[in-house]
Amino acid sequence: MALELLRDTAIPKTAAVYPLQWRSRVYAIVGLVSLLGVVIAATLAIGSTHIPLATLGNILLAKLPFIGVESTWASSMETIIFDIRLPRLLLAGLVGASLAVAGATYQGLFRNPLADPYLIGVAQGAALGAVTGFLLPASWQAASIPLLAFAGALLAVAVVYSIARVGKTLPMTTLILAGVALGAFLAAITSYLMIASGDKLHGIISWLLGTFSLTSWWQVTMVIPYISLGIVVIWLHARPLNVMQLDEEQAQQLGINVERVKLILLGAATLITAAAVCFCGIIGFVGIIIPHAVRLIWGPDHRFLLPLSTLAGASFLILADTVARTMLAPTEIPVGVITAFLGAPFFLYLLRQKKRAIF
Amino acid sequence: MNQYSRNCLLVLLSVALLLCLSCASPPPAGNVVDDLDRTINIDEIPQRIISLAPSNTEILFALGLGDRVVGVTEYCNFPEAAIAKPKVGGFSTVDIEKVVSLEPDLVLATQIHSKTAIPALEKLGITALALAPGSLDEVMNNITLVGKITGQDKQASQLVNSLGTRIEAIASRTQNLAPDQRPRVLYLTWHDPLITAGTETLVDDIISKAGGQNIAYDISGHKAIALETVIHRDPQLIIASIGMGTGEDLPWQYVKNEPRLKNTEALLNDRVYKIDGDLAHRAGPRIVDALEQMAQFIHPELFEEIN
Repeated sequence: MALELLRDTAIPKTAAVYPLQWRSRVYAIVGLVSLLGVVIAATLAIGSTHIPLATLGNILLAKLPFIGVESTWASSMETIIFDIRLPRLLLAGLVGASLAVAGATYQGLFRNPLADPYLIGVAQGAALGAVTGFLLPASWQAASIPLLAFAGALLAVAVVYSIARVGKTLPMTTLILAGVALGAFLAAITSYLMIASGDKLHGIISWLLGTFSLTSWWQVTMVIPYISLGIVVIWLHARPLNVMQLDEEQAQQLGINVERVKLILLGAATLITAAAVCFCGIIGFVGIIIPHAVRLIWGPDHRFLLPLSTLAGASFLILADTVARTMLAPTEIPVGVITAFLGAPFFLYLLRQKKRAIF
Repeated sequence: MNQYSRNCLLVLLSVALLLCLSCASPPPAGNVVDDLDRTINIDEIPQRIISLAPSNTEILFALGLGDRVVGVTEYCNFPEAAIAKPKVGGFSTVDIEKVVSLEPDLVLATQIHSKTAIPALEKLGITALALAPGSLDEVMNNITLVGKITGQDKQASQLVNSLGTRIEAIASRTQNLAPDQRPRVLYLTWHDPLITAGTETLVDDIISKAGGQNIAYDISGHKAIALETVIHRDPQLIIASIGMGTGEDLPWQYVKNEPRLKNTEALLNDRVYKIDGDLAHRAGPRIVDALEQMAQFIHPELFEEIN
């Protein structure tokens, strides 16, 4: 049963031969870039604290050089906009972009529509690392939680990779099965540590559900190098990824070093996923719903699927986080709850549409 | 036997009878209503009591019932004698088998056990009663109720009287404060995310009795509060709880080191305080200690002489 799911037979054999639809794709890129801009501007204005649009405009103008705007607002307003909302929505955007593009990469690599960035142990490794961080002495926690989460994610995938490798090749089915098994093992350890964690359980649960609650600038600057490097590397491999949709043997015959491309793409997707989850926790469903939505609308050509997923993922997670921080304001709910709440119905919709062979 | 000695004997007998009656234990409480609005029949005075919450344990020991307590939770760390008692599990995770093996005739639970441990124990024929106070007054009512059930009415009324006197000493000076004389207070139990105590919590009642106003007035229960709300509402003092049992002061350290809070009045005037979470969150007699500490934090000018 599992194997039938893994070998998705719905992939059309002609998938690598995509008609060029330049005009609609240029529109799509321009449209999604402007959407991202509008989303950033709009969500900067929304929050549990009411800041009038005029005030927001003046605060932004005052930051520009050569424009003298007299400060008539409380300094707390500036703190809220520049030190709370802006870093938070930028991190949400970076994380959303990473998860979406990593999801698209995994789905392409595994040729399986159910693949998401957490398929081969990233989430379980990160969770175990983070929970270990919570149990360390108090003064280390601020640094140890993201660091251990990041290391745990990379280590888990490295272990899965080395288990699944057969000689010089990497059979994707073995990789998934090894990932699922190691993930279950790590999740068991995590659950045990959670039971033993006593009063730290609250902090752990909100990390596991994913939250941007206390994001500040240093976190944004920490993840930018990894995420931008990883995303660019993935974008540059869109063409080999397209060819590999045929089947690995044919791709090899067409002059693509399949094993090398697999290794690079797995590495890059794992790196950006690990960087995405290490500060904000495990945010589910973005990596599945965004690539599928993009595929539904603009088709499966990876040269566009990857950048469009990046843009759409960023906008989606910024919006989801805005819902998370305003829906029950002044209290906040974990953003993972919102993405799953929106993501699950979408996934059910996809299942119903399966006959249309969207992948 | 003459008339005189017969009268003497009669008097002696009646005195003996009276003494006998008064030294016998008082009658059992009969039907009582617990905090989940369930009516429970107490037809015998309980002799083997299990507590499923640290607050319940503290009430029992404060009423001199330490000898009758046969089981407590892993979190029951006060008074010292409670630590040595057999453990029946954590706070929400009750080891029913262990409870049954200790053969209790009363289990003092809380509202978190309403769907789990309480029905399980009642099916096994064990009397379980839930205490779930939401205010200081209700804590006092609970102490009276436990006293009534266990036949310690006198100890309970003494305890409630002395606690009531201490509460009144504070409330009498704060109840007539105008809103602008009540400093804005942020109470934190955790820092990532920021978890505060909103309305319908004991902490909220304590803050208002201590003469402050809780900035989480539109949040109910223990929930996350947005950092921007905190900055916008600009607390005049921040009180962070010290981790239950661990003695860690992470929320306090966070507040002290968070650059985005440095322009709040609390940080500008260096009014960031710590309170022992075991005092502030436990609905037992020591909640009054928490009230006195908070009153000193919030109105140092009014309450210099306490302690």
